Amino acid sequence: MNVHPAALHRNKIPVFLTLLSVILIAGFVFFFYTTPGTRIGPEQPIPFSHRVHAGVKDIQCAYCHPYVRYSRHPGLPPVEKCLHCHNHIIRNHHWIQKEHAYFSTRTPIPWKKANVLPEHVLFNHQRHIQKDIACKECHGLVETADRITGKIFLMEFCITCHRQKNANVDCWLSCHG
Amino acid sequence: MNRRRFLKISGIGSIAVAAGCTAEAEKTLFSLIHAPDDMVTGKAGWYASTCRECPAGCGILAKNREGRVIKLEGNPAHPINQGALCMRGQAALQGIYNPDRLQTPLIRESGGWHPVSFARAAELIIQKARAAGQNGPNRVRLISEVVGDTLSRVFQDVLQQWKSDGPLLFEPHAFESLKAAHDMVFGAPVLPSYHMDQADILVGFGADFLETWLSPVEYARKFKAMHALHNGRKGVFIQISPFQSLTAANADHWMACRPGSEATVVFGLIRKLHSSGRGAEIPGPIQNQISRICDTLTRSEVCRRAGIRKADFDMLSNRIIDAESPLILGSGPGMDSRTAMHTDIGVSLLNLILDPALPRHDFQNRHRIECAARRSDVSAFFEAIDSEPVELLLLHNTNPVFTLPSAHRLTEIISRESLFVVSFTNFMDETAELADLICPIQLPLETWDAYEGKTRVTGTLQPAMGRLTDAPAIGDLLLRCAFSDQQPVSDYKSHVAGQLNIQSPADWVNAVQAGGIFNQSEGPPFNPGLSVGELPLDRMMPDSPDDRPGAGLIVMAVPSLRFYDGRGANKPWLNETPDPLTLICWQSVAQVHPQTMAARGWKQGDVILFQSDFGTIKVPVFEWPGIHPDAVAMTLGQGHTGYGRYAQNQGQNPLTLLAPGQNPLTGGPSYQVPLSEVRALGQNESLAHLDGSRTQHGRAIALTCDIQTCHLPSPDSGQGLGMWDFPLTLPIPEGYDIRRDIYPSHPHADYRWGMVVDLDRCIGCGACTVACYAENNIGVVGEKQILAGREMAWLRIERYLDPDDMQKIIFLPMMCQHCDNAPCESVCPVYAPHHGREGLNNQIYNRCIGTRFCAQNCPYKVRRFNWLEWDRPKPLPLQLNPDVTVRSAGVMEKCSFCIQRIKDGHDHAKNENRLIRDGDITPACVQTCPTHALVFGNFMDPESRVRRLADDPRAYQVLGYLNTKPAVIYLKKIVQTLDNAIVSWPGRPLPG
Repeated sequence: MNVHPAALHRNKIPVFLTLLSVILIAGFVFFFYTTPGTRIGPEQPIPFSHRVHAGVKDIQCAYCHPYVRYSRHPGLPPVEKCLHCHNHIIRNHHWIQKEHAYFSTRTPIPWKKANVLPEHVLFNHQRHIQKDIACKECHGLVETADRITGKIFLMEFCITCHRQKNANVDCWLSCHG
Repeated sequence: MNRRRFLKISGIGSIAVAAGCTAEAEKTLFSLIHAPDDMVTGKAGWYASTCRECPAGCGILAKNREGRVIKLEGNPAHPINQGALCMRGQAALQGIYNPDRLQTPLIRESGGWHPVSFARAAELIIQKARAAGQNGPNRVRLISEVVGDTLSRVFQDVLQQWKSDGPLLFEPHAFESLKAAHDMVFGAPVLPSYHMDQADILVGFGADFLETWLSPVEYARKFKAMHALHNGRKGVFIQISPFQSLTAANADHWMACRPGSEATVVFGLIRKLHSSGRGAEIPGPIQNQISRICDTLTRSEVCRRAGIRKADFDMLSNRIIDAESPLILGSGPGMDSRTAMHTDIGVSLLNLILDPALPRHDFQNRHRIECAARRSDVSAFFEAIDSEPVELLLLHNTNPVFTLPSAHRLTEIISRESLFVVSFTNFMDETAELADLICPIQLPLETWDAYEGKTRVTGTLQPAMGRLTDAPAIGDLLLRCAFSDQQPVSDYKSHVAGQLNIQSPADWVNAVQAGGIFNQSEGPPFNPGLSVGELPLDRMMPDSPDDRPGAGLIVMAVPSLRFYDGRGANKPWLNETPDPLTLICWQSVAQVHPQTMAARGWKQGDVILFQSDFGTIKVPVFEWPGIHPDAVAMTLGQGHTGYGRYAQNQGQNPLTLLAPGQNPLTGGPSYQVPLSEVRALGQNESLAHLDGSRTQHGRAIALTCDIQTCHLPSPDSGQGLGMWDFPLTLPIPEGYDIRRDIYPSHPHADYRWGMVVDLDRCIGCGACTVACYAENNIGVVGEKQILAGREMAWLRIERYLDPDDMQKIIFLPMMCQHCDNAPCESVCPVYAPHHGREGLNNQIYNRCIGTRFCAQNCPYKVRRFNWLEWDRPKPLPLQLNPDVTVRSAGVMEKCSFCIQRIKDGHDHAKNENRLIRDGDITPACVQTCPTHALVFGNFMDPESRVRRLADDPRAYQVLGYLNTKPAVIYLKKIVQTLDNAIVSWPGRPLPG
């Protein structure tokens, strides 16, 4: 295709605008998907480190997520439970001070949800734990990460495993409802 | 659209897209401060309590998830309701989470409402009450709904502290005539409970015991106990009334009598019994009186006055005379006070003549509502406020300005300048609007209390949820106000424990966990003593209907199954669920006989102005054969001018037509009034009704069978392919027939879920419908969308009239049939309806693209499309069941057999390493049914209840000849034709 230079010259404003928008969109996509901040999970009100607690200190998952064996939700530790240890350990650290402040003002900690399940899908932790599916099979190696990156669970992830393990793949009985 | 607007809108659009654009869908997870011992995230906790939506006092179990109550179920251990609950009980949740619930006290200052703190409100009450107490005796008055003994005594103590008389317990439906009749005949104004289940014939003169009368859930159960098939026989129920209520629609025979002629029929029966030598035990003076009154009431005279057939009257009297254990029930709603009194006296005498020992009356275990004040006392109470120097009026959970016909006079009294009015209520109702201070208090599901539904049944109430407001309990607040620092007990809760005579903390825990203390034997025994003197019967010659004044039409105002006295009108579920007979939601109508409609040239929905001597009302008319041509029936409870967004300006209040006075003998009000003028206004209103048709047009939908032949297999059913000879085909592999089926059958591993619906037990009360709304997060669409045909109920009660006999009504609960050969599954382009391995017809919301082909192809019309995003103003979303997803616009949905409960059943069974047992899983509709009309179970298990019930010769499938193989098996309703009873609905030309 031959482009007459005069045509480019005549249409220089539209051509400029088109090029500009292409560059802007490409830039947006690049920064949106590749900047370091997009892949390290949401920022939490207190920078709790799973690496320190589950990795270095080797605390069992179910100590802080106590209902995981007998309820669909694993449960979050109540503020009180954090202070069981942190009344004694690094109690004057400024993040622990913030924890104390939540406790003494009776404010629930607004943790940010890192793992996301699609709409109209319900997951039951109890069933998976009782089948001896380790936490890490879905959640990965949380003991190596300071900040939880989390995961957006998609159907393929669930159904691949369900098929491999010959588990229930009925729509309502297994996930939807 | 001009260019400017286009730019504006596209600008908003791109900003919205940018704002919504993040890499993570961020949601917040809040952690608790302390973990309560009895709360596990994701698991329900159950708290036993007592329902306070009406004075019956049913026991409930409140299901708590993460601190909020999400569902109410009947307490199976409670003697009154035994696990069932009516639709009003189910909807109590929408009182707690009502978006119009008041959060703080409001004070009227300079013409407007201003929020104040609870402490300030208490201060004001203390200040006003102390001043009133110092100024003289009896200057503080308290009017309350019927409460338990404990709270009632607290009211008494508190008022005494302020030198005033005790409280007035007010209920709009207080059964004055029944109490007065029992006073005259049995010697005390009591409301005994009835062993209806032990009767072989039940005759009612209007009592609507399946809707609002005394204790509807209890009597629905007892009624079906006597009316179910036992050894080829069932009890007989005959109702005589001008209006066919839901109760009358469940009768074997309903006789439409002229309004005001019920007592004539009762005394006609007494005369007949008397002449056959019954009633010798009655004291002489009364016998003489009876003969005097009944003298002229010959068979033909009774039939002439009441407008009933002689054959019907003969049948009725013969049935009663022959009965072994008859029970006669008295007056019902919508009667004028004189007739009601005559009827109830007559009925008491009739019961006495039939069975002098009164074995089916339980005078030891009486209904709590007997402590409600008579209407005349209520009027006197308000008049006294006007004439005496009363300074402070306290109103507790009561709305007399709406529920009494004398609204003008009450408004005048309550708004008097020198009177300070405090309304303890959570809603801005018509009475609260006139108060000076509105103080919200804890609702029954948030508070400690006790309530004696019956003399020997004490129900306890406990907080079943976290707090939504800072409101105090009324008991605590008043004790604090009256006694400040020298309170007799530390708080109201310990007061309750003291009243219940509980010694140890363990006993207290046991009582609260059980939901109360049942079958107490304490209390003095009550023996009905027949009065030996003359009864005040002299002026009680029943009216002759010929000398009625007016335009010939009489209005009957009947209490509503949905709204009771109007307190349910602010609950969206109750508005959205249709009236069981008219199937109209949100609106109120006047029910008029087709003959009257034709004679006056009215058409369905024409707005008519009805005028009595006391007021006027404009209501659309609804053609309905179940009413006497002289009567117009309107249900009470709607037509609020306040009471929140769902009640305000919705429907009409027929109380405005009624006379404000009371009967001097009973103290009861009249719910009937002759119309002085009736005029069509030339407007027509579209009625928001849910029935496509009143009749079945000869299709095999809701079927009946005769009691004589119901044990025999239907002669038609065989191996044909027609509507009547298509065989019952269970939705299991055995149901496959190579001659009929194109597709192979579905394999089902261990389970194939299904339901059996016994049409002979279904009374059409709609409790299941509301339970389904609560359990499954179903959207409420509102009047406008109902008119557009967009209702969302997963379970509806269809009502069909018999074209040959319009008084014969059959109710059919219709939900997704979970067909094994489902027409919806084969037409979806994206496989959103999917056949599950346990036979459920799964609807996958994520897949659904909203073509609506499935709804089009469903012969049962049970699929519901979300045309819009349904409105749930805060805090209504707190009620949502977290185990069920909330569907959004553009998605099809339908009954899932409560898949979340099936999954729970699987969980339990897997934890215990066993298979699911029959009865482990109970869907919400099955759970709440007062008459056990629904049974859920596994068709693959040959021993399951559903499988055995499917072998009943009455079993059939709705539209089964379409070879859909539905998993809902219906059992035909058993009808019995009573000898001599000839089809005689009003308006039909009488043969002979």
